[in-house]
Amino acid sequence: MIPASAPVPVSFEDRMATVDFRVAADAHITVDGDACRGCSTRACVTACPANLFVPMADGGILFNYEQCFECGTCYLVCDTAGAITWRYPEGGHGVAFRRS
Amino acid sequence: MTVPAAPGPAPAAAPGPVLACRQWADRRADVDPLTGTVTSDPRSAAASPADDAALECALRMATAWGTHVVAVTVGPPGSEAVLREALAAGAERAVRVDAPEPGDAASVAAAIAGVAGMVGARAVLCGDMGWGRGSGAVPALVAAVLDARQALGLVDLATDPEQPGVVTGWRRLDGGRRQHLRAAAPFVASVEGGVALLRRAPLAGVLGAGQATIEVVAPAGTCPVPSWTPSSTGPGRPRTHVVDGPDPDDPVRRRVELLTGLTAERPARRVVRAEPVDAAHQLIAALADWGEWS
Amino acid sequence: MSAPGSLTASDNAASSDAARFDAVVVGAGPAGSAAALVLARRGHRVCLLERGPYPGSKNMYGGVVYPRILDELLPGWWEEAPVQRWVTRRATMMLTADQALTVDFRSEAWGQPPYNGATALRPDFDAWLAAKAVDAGALLVTSTTATGLLRDGPGGTVGGVTTDRPGGDLRARVVVACDGVNSFLAKEAGLYGKPDPANYTLGAKEVLALPAATIEDRFALGPGQGADFEIIGCTGDIAGGGFLYTNRDSLAVGVVLHLPALAAAGVRPEQLIAGLKAHPAVAPLVAGGELVEYSAHLIPEGGYDMMPTLTGPGMLVAGDAAAMCLAAGIWLEGVNFAIGSGMAAGESAAEALERGDVSEGGLSGYERRLRDGFVLQDHRRLRHAPHLLLSDRVQRRYPQLACDIVEDLFTVTNPEPKPGIGRLVRRRVASSGVRLRHLAADSWRALRTFG
Repeated sequence: MIPASAPVPVSFEDRMATVDFRVAADAHITVDGDACRGCSTRACVTACPANLFVPMADGGILFNYEQCFECGTCYLVCDTAGAITWRYPEGGHGVAFRRS
Repeated sequence: MTVPAAPGPAPAAAPGPVLACRQWADRRADVDPLTGTVTSDPRSAAASPADDAALECALRMATAWGTHVVAVTVGPPGSEAVLREALAAGAERAVRVDAPEPGDAASVAAAIAGVAGMVGARAVLCGDMGWGRGSGAVPALVAAVLDARQALGLVDLATDPEQPGVVTGWRRLDGGRRQHLRAAAPFVASVEGGVALLRRAPLAGVLGAGQATIEVVAPAGTCPVPSWTPSSTGPGRPRTHVVDGPDPDDPVRRRVELLTGLTAERPARRVVRAEPVDAAHQLIAALADWGEWS
Repeated sequence: MSAPGSLTASDNAASSDAARFDAVVVGAGPAGSAAALVLARRGHRVCLLERGPYPGSKNMYGGVVYPRILDELLPGWWEEAPVQRWVTRRATMMLTADQALTVDFRSEAWGQPPYNGATALRPDFDAWLAAKAVDAGALLVTSTTATGLLRDGPGGTVGGVTTDRPGGDLRARVVVACDGVNSFLAKEAGLYGKPDPANYTLGAKEVLALPAATIEDRFALGPGQGADFEIIGCTGDIAGGGFLYTNRDSLAVGVVLHLPALAAAGVRPEQLIAGLKAHPAVAPLVAGGELVEYSAHLIPEGGYDMMPTLTGPGMLVAGDAAAMCLAAGIWLEGVNFAIGSGMAAGESAAEALERGDVSEGGLSGYERRLRDGFVLQDHRRLRHAPHLLLSDRVQRRYPQLACDIVEDLFTVTNPEPKPGIGRLVRRRVASSGVRLRHLAADSWRALRTFG
């Protein structure tokens, strides 16, 4: 039996569902797949707090932009110049914190 | 299938301004599953994608017909946010019907129809669905109050500059069918969210909308059609039937018959022609007979 | 039907008078709103530009603000500021896998005017401060992102910003960039060198809903009183720290992680939060809390040495955009530095506008104000703190050592007699692998940094 005081397990999907994202039509992140294929560190994959970067079998990186916190971690930890291009999403879109 | 909304479209007539209806509702309202209490946060309130699509259609329509758009909402002062968005995007005038509490579909429809009369709008555009998960009945009720034609739930909408006041569109029917509609003003049209993407308001529009005057009016008029109110808002509970098993002393054949109902007498099939209200009563009576309605 | 979004000639002519301002302040966070408030009060036409749908929507922090900087600007601010709880209890916890050493301080004075620290939610606090700027006459424009600088004045002087709206050029005689930790505007203006990830930490946190009475019971607080727990030793191999703050009816629990270490570690931020929440010293405090919002944000933790050039022709940089966040171990402050630098930027911009000289020289009052005030004095004095605090010894060895020494001190080993404290400490230091000369050097650095 789970004791009453045990932390309630939260799936990553449920975790992200607590946040209000107003998804813009255009992606504000772009990833140059060719640059990623030569990258061995792939720091973005684990460092991104929203888990937006997914390594692919062919060595590329699949990225999402819909649930981005707009923090900037990805482009700062990326050591392959030009692999991640990042800007702010269109005004009014993207993350909208309410309780932070 | 083409069904002209009878009678056929009137020849080009001045359609007056286009009224774009916008609902301000919390996109992420919390509903307490135990009490049904709704907690909402004005910061996550916005117009729905369908309302945004309706506004975009209204703006294109007004451009095509050489007229302008009036945006309307029914709500508290906070709801003026959705009107300022409309002004920024190109609406010329904005009216808020003051309603501190969310009203039922009939009162909202009466309020919107009142504004349509006030501004002389004979073309009314709404989204077909709001964030509020309401009944979706407002557009039809507005049409009822205005005695206007309906083109509801459109998945595509087109206007022709040569024919001001006439709208054509497609709507979805069951079974993969579709219906082509054509309606002349006065009409009420509602559109799905995917029909159009609301344009990005120009900076000049946004700067101007911040200080623009929003007319505030008191709710006026009534809706002749009562709005449907749910008798219960609790969770759905499928009813259980208590079925007594057959007498174990019966022969096997009899017991199988009883359990499967193979030889039981079925209610006679009846074909009934009736007016809608009468038909509904007859359906309910039949369901009660069969034990499916209490 | 006409093409959507097609522009007419009048749309493009946004450089009409309506889009001409004395000042454009980019970002309606604490720095931007303070700058806009000061400028508007001095009678200037100010546009306060915000890319989120409402001020504070893009902003997240640990959870404590020190608003005394507002005493002069908004007297009696505590009567109306949207505060969650007044911090009357401050604790610093050192954690190891199964030990915790906490220094815990409380003061009733902090629960009364003029108060000290307060927990607040940024979407509330930032919106409140932005509303003050609007009341003073600033024009707040939300849902609009500044995409670049207009640099068409003489000598590349900044003359406004471009935005992501059609006809979106906003002209102004001076631009105050308060566009946050990623400040694309300051970078575009060439005020920053190449960004170094070592200057940044990532803050990730969970807001956990709990009834107010439960929070007051667990943290031994009176109604309206709050607690502020800073935690080290809870981030494994990654330099950083943790925090636990009490809001009215929620807790904020999270971690701060040094970016290069996070990148190298291959651990996800939410796993580290889960680890912190499961620690025996923390778990009972957060038990049963329901996650109501998860969030993350970068912190410019490099301090004084990472700051950009603060002034350019026609342009000032303030707040996180200028790396004004103070992360000096026992002091973790940012909003007050943002407000302080925003006020200074507003005053200097107003002065320059009034003199009609918005050149770099005309705006030089900004840096002078900051150097004369707490903003740059604190930052300069504590410039070596980030380096010291993110070092491996402070992060891992010293918490372990301190916990072990205290454990030995209070473990009764009868029938053995108590050892002398000096012997105990020497024994633990020797077995910890910390060299005495390092301990001495770190103590000396700490004394020089914080003394």
